[in-house]
Amino acid sequence: MSSRLTRSAAAIVVGASLGLAAGCAASMNVNSFIERGVELREYRTYSWGPADTGSTGDPRLDNNRFFDERVRAQVEKELARHGFEKTAAREPDVLVHYHTNVSQEIDVREFDNSESYCADHDCRPFIYDKGTLLIDLIEPDTTKVLWRGWAEGSFDGMIDNQTWMESRIDEAVARILARLPDRL
Amino acid sequence: MKHLVLTTTVVLAVTAMASGCAPTMSVSSHVDRNLDFAQYRTFDWGPADALPTGDPRLDQDPFFKDHVQGAVERGLAGRGMELTSAGSPDLLIHYHANITERIDVNKADRVYGYCQGADCPPESIWYEAGTLVLDFMDAHTNKLIWRGWAQKSVEDMLRDKDKMADTIDRAVSEMLRQLPPR
Repeated sequence: MSSRLTRSAAAIVVGASLGLAAGCAASMNVNSFIERGVELREYRTYSWGPADTGSTGDPRLDNNRFFDERVRAQVEKELARHGFEKTAAREPDVLVHYHTNVSQEIDVREFDNSESYCADHDCRPFIYDKGTLLIDLIEPDTTKVLWRGWAEGSFDGMIDNQTWMESRIDEAVARILARLPDRL
Repeated sequence: MKHLVLTTTVVLAVTAMASGCAPTMSVSSHVDRNLDFAQYRTFDWGPADALPTGDPRLDQDPFFKDHVQGAVERGLAGRGMELTSAGSPDLLIHYHANITERIDVNKADRVYGYCQGADCPPESIWYEAGTLVLDFMDAHTNKLIWRGWAQKSVEDMLRDKDKMADTIDRAVSEMLRQLPPR
């Protein structure tokens, strides 16, 4: 009991500090689109397409095996759950590709200010690192993007804590791929 | 253990907040948790990979290079690891130095009129954020097994070799402190 209490208290404190660190942007925005006319249920097997070779915008993240392996493992897990099958065959139905980007963003709270939702110090602009994780399903022959999903959220402090980073990756991948159309 | 994790998270979160505006150094690392680091006894300098991107102001500065390598070699020697330039080392180490222009939130406050007087730092709102990334590769599997990094505003040290030396020493020793125990 006490351990459970400690744990939920911990969860609350961690949650609160996530919010703080993120400068109010702890939430994750997730979205996706599908190419018009594409029926994803016609695609079943996949393999990984060539990895990105460019910089993510953050040297801590470039060629970071720990980030890369976690993303791939999680994508494979979620794709399996959605009925996709990883194949080593030469001609998979889709190629999967992911892309990461980090950039510094300024939120000047223009809306809050104009609508008077905040006063004085609360209205101060804040600056944060925005991280984007994008997952593409690509048709191998045409290299056309059939489906694209992405998550955007504050990256501040996340990379500095491996365990936290892993849980954010898991959450992002699960929420992105949850937007895949139902196969049934 | 749980408390430890929690404390670390809170500290990091607070650090992240503070680092939005402060020129303090932030240091952290990623590690392959499934490895026994006692197996690594010898190391050598390996070729850097294409990424993370470096910065010519640092990479082509022989003082910087010598000082980083010296600091790492001393730090690892202090941990009982040996630099070997002949034979096959257990670890290949390389580093990347990167400088990015970043905006400072407190200074932006001043520009936009959100702070006054002593609260506002007098400088411009842009600063040069330097990142030093240190990679340890298993020489046999060629896999990254540990990565440490330090980040700090570097404007002062780009113009001052003594400051650069101090900053590198601090960055390297704090990074190496994050290595798993052997």
